[in-house]
Amino acid sequence: MSHQEALTVIAEVDEAQVDGLKRQLGSIREHGSAWAVVPFAKLTRLHFAQFVVLDAARDLDGVPLPARLVLLTTVDAPMSAHLDELSTACGEGIDAVFSHCRAYPAPADRSPATRRKYLHDRCVKSDAVHINRRGRTVEQILQEERLRREINTMLDAGAVNGSPSEIRNQIVESIRRRSDLDWALQPPAPPALSWRLRNLVHGVFYGLLAFVVGVVLLLGAPLWLWILRRHEQREKPDTTAAPAAALQALRDDEDYWAHNQFVVVGCFKPGLFRKITTRLILAVADYATRHIYNRGTLSGLNTIHFARWARFDGGRRMIFASIYDGTLESYMNDFIDKAAWGVNAIFSNGDGFPPTVYMVGKGISDEKAYKRFLPTRLVHSCVWYSAYPHLTTKNIANNEAIRKGLSGSMNDQQSAEWLARFGTGNHLPESGRAARMIDSLPWDRICRRWN
Amino acid sequence: MQALELKDIQGIILRGYAELNNASFLLLRIDDGGLAKRWLKTLELRNAEERPRALDSSANIAFTPSGLKKLGLAEELRSMFSNEFNEGMSATAHRRRILGDHGDSDPRGWRWGGPANEPADILLMLYAFDEAALQTFVDGQIDRLVRHGLGVIDRLDSLTLPDRKEHFGFREGISQPDLEGFCQNSLPGNSVAAGEFLFGHPNAYGQYTDRPTLPAQDDPAGLLSPAPDHPSRRDLGMNGSYLVFRQLRQHVSAFWNYCAEKARAVFPNDNTEACVSLASKMVGRWPSGAPLVKAPHGDTTQVSDDNDFLYVRSGDADGLRCPIGSHVRRSNPRDSLDPEPGSDRSTAINNRHRIIRRGRAYGPPAAASMDPRDIIGKPDDERERGLHFICFNTQIGRQFEFIQQTWLNSPKFEGLYEDDDPLVGDRGGNEEAPGGTFTIQRQPVRKRITGMPRFVTVRGGGYFFMPGISAVRYLASLK
Repeated sequence: MSHQEALTVIAEVDEAQVDGLKRQLGSIREHGSAWAVVPFAKLTRLHFAQFVVLDAARDLDGVPLPARLVLLTTVDAPMSAHLDELSTACGEGIDAVFSHCRAYPAPADRSPATRRKYLHDRCVKSDAVHINRRGRTVEQILQEERLRREINTMLDAGAVNGSPSEIRNQIVESIRRRSDLDWALQPPAPPALSWRLRNLVHGVFYGLLAFVVGVVLLLGAPLWLWILRRHEQREKPDTTAAPAAALQALRDDEDYWAHNQFVVVGCFKPGLFRKITTRLILAVADYATRHIYNRGTLSGLNTIHFARWARFDGGRRMIFASIYDGTLESYMNDFIDKAAWGVNAIFSNGDGFPPTVYMVGKGISDEKAYKRFLPTRLVHSCVWYSAYPHLTTKNIANNEAIRKGLSGSMNDQQSAEWLARFGTGNHLPESGRAARMIDSLPWDRICRRWN
Repeated sequence: MQALELKDIQGIILRGYAELNNASFLLLRIDDGGLAKRWLKTLELRNAEERPRALDSSANIAFTPSGLKKLGLAEELRSMFSNEFNEGMSATAHRRRILGDHGDSDPRGWRWGGPANEPADILLMLYAFDEAALQTFVDGQIDRLVRHGLGVIDRLDSLTLPDRKEHFGFREGISQPDLEGFCQNSLPGNSVAAGEFLFGHPNAYGQYTDRPTLPAQDDPAGLLSPAPDHPSRRDLGMNGSYLVFRQLRQHVSAFWNYCAEKARAVFPNDNTEACVSLASKMVGRWPSGAPLVKAPHGDTTQVSDDNDFLYVRSGDADGLRCPIGSHVRRSNPRDSLDPEPGSDRSTAINNRHRIIRRGRAYGPPAAASMDPRDIIGKPDDERERGLHFICFNTQIGRQFEFIQQTWLNSPKFEGLYEDDDPLVGDRGGNEEAPGGTFTIQRQPVRKRITGMPRFVTVRGGGYFFMPGISAVRYLASLK
């Protein structure tokens, strides 16, 4: 089994080719999750994929930015195997789409190797990636959903009886007799040892570094806060609303499945101070998503499958993409109600963001400002693929707990709790200690203090 | 907490008019805006100051965007209403999808409010204490309005069923939010900011929800009050609300036949009682209204109007008494929501998604007594019956539509997999296995029933704006 990685490919599109590219990509409402041009379903390591076209624009200084094609995927490592698959199994589709882009190999020069190089050369490194649960592969997710369905069929047939422990034993025994399901009696293999070691070293090293740097920064904190506050008081929020037609176009592609996707693109606020602060915050976000929020939750929210933050255009712009359960309305309310501080800290470095106070306060806890602002930075995803469109993060976590419950020993009480997972899967595994500590702070009051 | 100006609030928002048993909802068309404004000027509207007495009649009024346009409200002001209101209930594919308006509920087949129907400009709500009094009241009203450049597009009559039940046979309308500044003794976790239901007051986030406001010079007669968040402007929304109307057809025979077919697999007792038990599990209350949280083993009239309970803090976190997916639990999860079920924070999050319900039944009862035991087994008379569902809120997207989409129609509510609302769900969530699933949490092993058809279909609907009384006078004074 392996850990998960995010691929972000950003390629320049010829101005004259933008319309043709958009026609080629179509829209989610037309093709749903089954888009014939690039057969994503063939990619065995793929969780999610999106194609986004960014229109030509200007940055805050008026410098023109060319139109872009963005390919976003989330995959099981190694990334090199994913790039291989993309340029072979999906080669023709990649040609069809990327041939609209500048410097794509001419038809005669197209081969798996040239495609791979083209994609590889245009990869943008993610600054931070949130993965709902690190180490859970797409294969595991699909297998465990099948397992739950099979056990449910057993339970519906009334084929079990007795005490909770007896029932559990009967289920384990019948799984043992099924050659197509007996894999479930072993816990899933963890990610590769080398990755776990590297991850551990990363956690310890940067944790210590953060501690040392933190002590130094603490001395500078009053000055930093003073400068920050002055910036916040001077910066102007963007209060224009997105046109109703643009909103409608976004809505038309939402709410087909259990989860939705969105992509946000924006410019950073100008100036050296914001530049340094952005770097610092993204480094913290990177550390937090790797080592703190890596077990089901992100700042107290348990509905995010994947999210990534990546700077591009020489650090002037950022792309943020998220796959989340439920609706955009529930997503926004979740963040306002439960984790305004997290959104404020990261995104308040973006131009036009609702005014914050000391970075975490106010900001999106102003419901009207947030719901007006977010749609103005949303960009339209033309293509979206999910390997498990009918599963929520809660479903996936519950399925994993069902599978784990098939091995090891349990007393009657534990068996009863395990059996309750077939009634509803609302009991999530606990997040890490540091995550629980951060989430237990009274953020609501902190964020709303200045409202 | 400032008390509400009850004289400026249309009565139906804060009072259910329980004394007035019969109602008629008229969908009106404005043929002559000038004449219509003269009619509007003298139309007697009941305000919220006191409950109507038994022999009273009551009228209240709400408008669609086209009605406001015909009265002469400027485009600039109309654009300050929310997108949901301006687009309408049935106009976009996305909204049809999230509300579950597909198949038999497709707006193209609606009786009113759909693309094939004549668009309404006004909803006139008329209430009286019995059928005869209502008829006299309606006749008089129609007589006046047709002489004032208005026409009746449709008339939707409602009645009160015995014991205030809805057509499936369950006592209805028990749980309502307690408005701050209006309700004196609110139940724990049930007090909600007035701005969630009335414009011009702080909402659950402490903000003033967007609504049209205008420069003071555009209100020369000084009919409107200043907007509290923009004192230089006058507030057209003040004390008004959005009214959501859905005509919901209830397939009573299909519902009870399905319960009868599945009941014995779930409850081993006599079939009629098993049938009532299963249906009550689906509803979350017994036919008398008694909540399953308080009366887990059988119906009792002692708690039939009881609304003083939570889920987690009342000891039913796991849904062993009231199933997680039951209708009342998912339409108002109280203290069940993440991230801290059973906390004040949980009820605060819940209370950002509340509505005031003012629905009324329509069509003949399946049995005069409205006792499920008399309804079960009756052959289907194929007559249309259902609910004129009406609710009030100030943010349709965060309140009515959120409840409909994220709680009722979502098969994923609270960790479930393929269960939409057993009673009103749209059965649209599972392509692999059409038909709904309902899971009854139980020890040692849950029971679940599958292949559930849709028991409630939509026959019409629309979003309306119900202004405060001074705003109605302002609309009547427009040039």
